[in-house]
Amino acid sequence: MKPKIAIFSLTSCEGCSLAILELEDQLLDLLGAVEIVNFREGMTERAWDIDVGFVDGAVSTPQDDEEVRHFRAHCKTLVAIGSCACLGGINTLKHYQSGGATRDEGAAHAAGGNGRVAEYRRYVYGENAEWFATTPARPISAVVAVDYQLPGCPMVKEEFVELVKCLLIGKPFRLPETAVCVECKRRGSRCLYEMGIICFGPITRAGCNAICPAYGSKCEGCRGLVSPDAIAAAGINLREQYRVDLNEALADLRLYGAYQEALLP
Amino acid sequence: MLDLMVTPADFVALVNELGRKRRIIGPVARGDRYFYEEVGDAARLELGFSYAVYGPKSFLFPAVETLFRFEADNGSFTAEPVYDDRPAAFVGVHPCDLHAIRLLDRVFAQDRRDEHYLRRRGATMIIGIDCARPCNEGVFCADMKCHQADEGFDVMLLPLSDGDGNRRWGLKFGSAAGREWLTYSRRCTAPTAADERAAETFLRAKAAAFPRALTTRVERLPELLERSYDSLLWEATARRCYSCGSCNLTCPTCYCFDMSDSLDLSLTSGVRQRLWDGCQLPGFALVAGNHNFRPRAAQRLRHRIFRKAKWIRERTGVAGCVGCGRCDRACTAKISAVEIYNQLAELD
Repeated sequence: MKPKIAIFSLTSCEGCSLAILELEDQLLDLLGAVEIVNFREGMTERAWDIDVGFVDGAVSTPQDDEEVRHFRAHCKTLVAIGSCACLGGINTLKHYQSGGATRDEGAAHAAGGNGRVAEYRRYVYGENAEWFATTPARPISAVVAVDYQLPGCPMVKEEFVELVKCLLIGKPFRLPETAVCVECKRRGSRCLYEMGIICFGPITRAGCNAICPAYGSKCEGCRGLVSPDAIAAAGINLREQYRVDLNEALADLRLYGAYQEALLP
Repeated sequence: MLDLMVTPADFVALVNELGRKRRIIGPVARGDRYFYEEVGDAARLELGFSYAVYGPKSFLFPAVETLFRFEADNGSFTAEPVYDDRPAAFVGVHPCDLHAIRLLDRVFAQDRRDEHYLRRRGATMIIGIDCARPCNEGVFCADMKCHQADEGFDVMLLPLSDGDGNRRWGLKFGSAAGREWLTYSRRCTAPTAADERAAETFLRAKAAAFPRALTTRVERLPELLERSYDSLLWEATARRCYSCGSCNLTCPTCYCFDMSDSLDLSLTSGVRQRLWDGCQLPGFALVAGNHNFRPRAAQRLRHRIFRKAKWIRERTGVAGCVGCGRCDRACTAKISAVEIYNQLAELD
């Protein structure tokens, strides 16, 4: 029996779901190994007897909250795909658009706490902002138990295939525990620090094959922090070796990393 | 001292002739840096290059290499080794990197012979280039006694000029294969007495051109490290370490690798690959039962420095660190091996 697979989307661009369709030359092999039973981006049928459910998007509305619990109840295995589902992603930036200085303060503002309707909601929805309920943005693991995470903006489709293969043969799946630098070196890229660019490669989890630095763009940390030790080292180095304003570095890290516990020292 | 002389243009033609039978690998420019790449035309080679960002191991011991393909279906299992022994010529290897290749040769041939490395290496001609001056700030090849190489190449090029200031390569043979390649070539000429004098002048000037960076003689480093095992410097320095492994991965003598099996989607066939690994990565010394022999960055940093300046030399008799400075340059935390040696000496 082929495992039944579903792909769901919460608040996001659904780019990670689309990345599955972009597998192109592997798509037919993949469809030979699994049966996709529920996929808004790819089909009209819907079924709710699901072995593995993949979810992209953050929990950012009361409806997301309800839906992700529904997915959990109907999927034997639940996988978060992409930065939004794994880390909260860029959705969490809204917390800081309302004047929040820390994660919790920002989340309180985003929830409309402290007696004020968050400014970002007026910015996005105009005068009828009250009609559109939102909540602080969270990774889906903040709401339901998640079995696997495939971070990245978008997720790495090769890693998705790797997880599917691991699930099919019962092999443990692990994300790389190394920094992006490892993949930059393996593919022979030039280090952006040599060009005076502060890149988040040394503190970001590998697995993306260091694609951004390979094309001259600094790593922005979309796959999340590799370890608390690395971020501690970053605090020391950015301050002592590079004379970088840590508040600016922190603001950059928030692009994807706002929800992550570890903060610069 | 010299075997033959050749003009730069004739040398390019010679390499292109060689390229009919061999892949040509050498330094090419990307922006203002040089990388070893395969070229279709030897005219692309930048033989006056400063240094290659990644050493010769990026070709001889690739970052990701397939070791074998396997088929496993209905209880049967077959595996087919994969070797890359296509003839190649590695053109443009500086003395430090020749020393690094010597270490790789020794390591991959000792104990269980590594056929994947040895076959590729056996099919590769090496054409060295001597350097007149340090290729970059911060190198300490002369301290490590690796800025000159008398062996480890098939042919060595010396950048000389004739009496009229025209550039000429002085050629030295290091193997029968090198001799065979060029001896009967009409593009080469016999060295004159003036060429020999130019070579002597070059070597004298070179000896004076390399400053020393280490305060301890290389032979004394093992004892210095022995006494410094419990130094506080390891923790003090490693607080900056990201454990990103960039020092290992850019090091021309780091040869550790990890293995990974990868299945096709058919789930009945796949490949085993090896990938560059490094002792600075937190999971490197993690074993079954979740025990990590070196969980702290300071332990890992100490391990690397001990390997480079003490253990490898003691075990193989050749330099574990060639002083190329790639680790120091790759470190975004600006941790420097030279500084560590000198600080340990100061604290000693």
